[in-house]
Amino acid sequence: MLKYLIVLLDDNAVSYCHYSSKTEREVSISPDVLKKTIFWAMRENLSVQFVYSDVDVSDEIASLIDTIDHTDIGPSDADIIVVDDWNDVSTMNFVKGRSYVLRSGFKDLLTNGEFLKFILSLVDRLNIVIKDVENFSDSDIEEYKSFLDSLIPTIVGEYRCGHQVQLNLLTDRLMLTEMNNCNAGYESITLAPNGEFYICPAFYFNNQKSVGDIDRGLEIKNSQLYKLDHAPICRICDAFQCKRCVWLNKKMCREVNTPSHQQCVMAHVERCASKKLLDEFRKIDSTFMSEIDIPELKYLDPFDNIIKQNNK
Amino acid sequence: MENIKNLREPWEGGVAKNITFIVTKDCQLACKYCYLVGKNDKERMSWEIAKQAIDYILSCETDFKEKSVIWDFIGGEPFIEIDLIDKICDYLKLEMYRLRHHWFDSYRFSFSTNGINYDSPKVQNFIKKNHQHLSIGITIDGTQRKHDLNRIWKGELPERGSYKDVVRNIPLWLSQFPGGATKVTISTDDIPYIKESVLHLFSLGIKEVNINVVFEDVWNPDDDKRFEEQLIELADAIIDGDFYSEYACSFFAKFIGKPMNSTTDNQNWCGAGKMIAVDAAGNFYPCTRFAAYSLRDKKPIIIGNVYDGIEKNLLRPFLTLDRTTQSPHKCIECEVASGCAWCQGENYDAADTDTIYQRSTAICKMHKARVRANNYYWNKLYRKLEQENSSESC
Repeated sequence: MLKYLIVLLDDNAVSYCHYSSKTEREVSISPDVLKKTIFWAMRENLSVQFVYSDVDVSDEIASLIDTIDHTDIGPSDADIIVVDDWNDVSTMNFVKGRSYVLRSGFKDLLTNGEFLKFILSLVDRLNIVIKDVENFSDSDIEEYKSFLDSLIPTIVGEYRCGHQVQLNLLTDRLMLTEMNNCNAGYESITLAPNGEFYICPAFYFNNQKSVGDIDRGLEIKNSQLYKLDHAPICRICDAFQCKRCVWLNKKMCREVNTPSHQQCVMAHVERCASKKLLDEFRKIDSTFMSEIDIPELKYLDPFDNIIKQNNK
Repeated sequence: MENIKNLREPWEGGVAKNITFIVTKDCQLACKYCYLVGKNDKERMSWEIAKQAIDYILSCETDFKEKSVIWDFIGGEPFIEIDLIDKICDYLKLEMYRLRHHWFDSYRFSFSTNGINYDSPKVQNFIKKNHQHLSIGITIDGTQRKHDLNRIWKGELPERGSYKDVVRNIPLWLSQFPGGATKVTISTDDIPYIKESVLHLFSLGIKEVNINVVFEDVWNPDDDKRFEEQLIELADAIIDGDFYSEYACSFFAKFIGKPMNSTTDNQNWCGAGKMIAVDAAGNFYPCTRFAAYSLRDKKPIIIGNVYDGIEKNLLRPFLTLDRTTQSPHKCIECEVASGCAWCQGENYDAADTDTIYQRSTAICKMHKARVRANNYYWNKLYRKLEQENSSESC
């Protein structure tokens, strides 16, 4: 069921996920389209997220945005602040009570572990998004494991001090008893500045077909393929924190319902590290999150299990 | 029932790796129902591409764990490129031996041919050289009027059928491959000739007729009724003529027409992705049906090439595809679902989006008609055998 509407206010709207938002276009949403969009969201009872660029919106757009309860996502002064460069991190004034998205290349992330530990002491929630998942290889697994393991004492230390910091890669799995994925195309849809709907911002910025427009409404063909029960690998998986990014699926496997080996392995490395974190918490408090179970697994890619079953 | 001939099980239980060389996209014929919309005489595989493909595949032994392999050659018409095929097969044998590859003791060369140059010296020499590892099927559609309705020579006006050019080679083929089976394709215009065609093929000595309706959406409103009538007449002819003990026609099979369990009967019908195909450009495909010359409306699905290898992520959707995930609700709930086939390439080509996960149901009515005729066939045949048994025991 659709719950969220993401509205890109212009073509430079910041990327807060795996895609790059670089584009040649320079379209900003028109007041007319925005008015219709807000009206549509109200009728559909959707939570709205506005995505900003670093250019200020006009007064007219700002006053229209104010007519609906919403969440702001932007490079600064927003409910969810996106940081796209480690150089910007050093000058960032982190504030508790806000959420931050940190987009990083995989190798850059590994080399900034100490800096990251410092950031974790300053924020309540940090989402790390890896920009180059496609470059991850099996030879990176051990390094990624070590990196995540190295963050565990910091998070435990923060909790001991009463600061319940959340880091998506490690703490999300501790709070989940079922899949909690992005669900673009099923629970969320994106409206681009051109007034057309897309599965998510990545589909717009990568010139994919629209799935309707604000005048005609939504028309998602094969919409069932965005649901978990139509994803053969994901529906048997318990890496509940995985983004299950349908854009990466499409980009790397050609099908929106099929995750790449890289996405599965990274999610399982995070899942394993989450289990270690849970074990650490339970050393302090044996009843900690008692409803959560993260069993040991002998694989990092559930695809391998399906193939084993099929070959039996 | 020992006195009923069944269709042969596929070689190695159907689990051998199938690797297809699209050696040419040319054919002497221009069959009207052919799904290959982009045939041409330009795209001929070079030896360099073939060798590179072989070298790549044999170097990835751990990725291809199947016990056996079928090296499949298709076109167009594969035997147009008999010189290349001969060179490929010699090289394959040599390399599988040199590398001590686990396929060396368990391989086949497979061909589906229009049969026109089957008796040529080059093809015959090739057959003699490789006979014990060969599987060759000649396509003949039935009676002359049925065959010539669709299987016509390319570029000839007025149209000229190819029946006489094929049927002359059937005795030679059957003498070399006594269990030889043929493949018959039925489209809307062929329906009135099904019975006479199957019986004609039996009369030529072909004991196994594999026959199916085309998967494309070509069917007219009353085609299912006409189809069922033909199959009932065919059932009567096979049973009344006592053909069932020596001949088999794939339209009639005991397993079809039953409901299917969503959990235990959930495997994909099609082998796309488990097999691979390589074309003249050196591109790999999950099956030949995903190459550009096979597709009407969609872009080809290329999963790699002979130089860079196969991108395994692109195979994941194929290898995890199951029946229920790609089927609409009506198929999952269907009470006569078993035996209802699909072609992954046609599904992709006909889908509303660029997905292999949308099953085409163009043959739905035709399958149900087949199920009714199939039920009739087995009820009638079992009754006859029962009566014969009881009269013998008296």
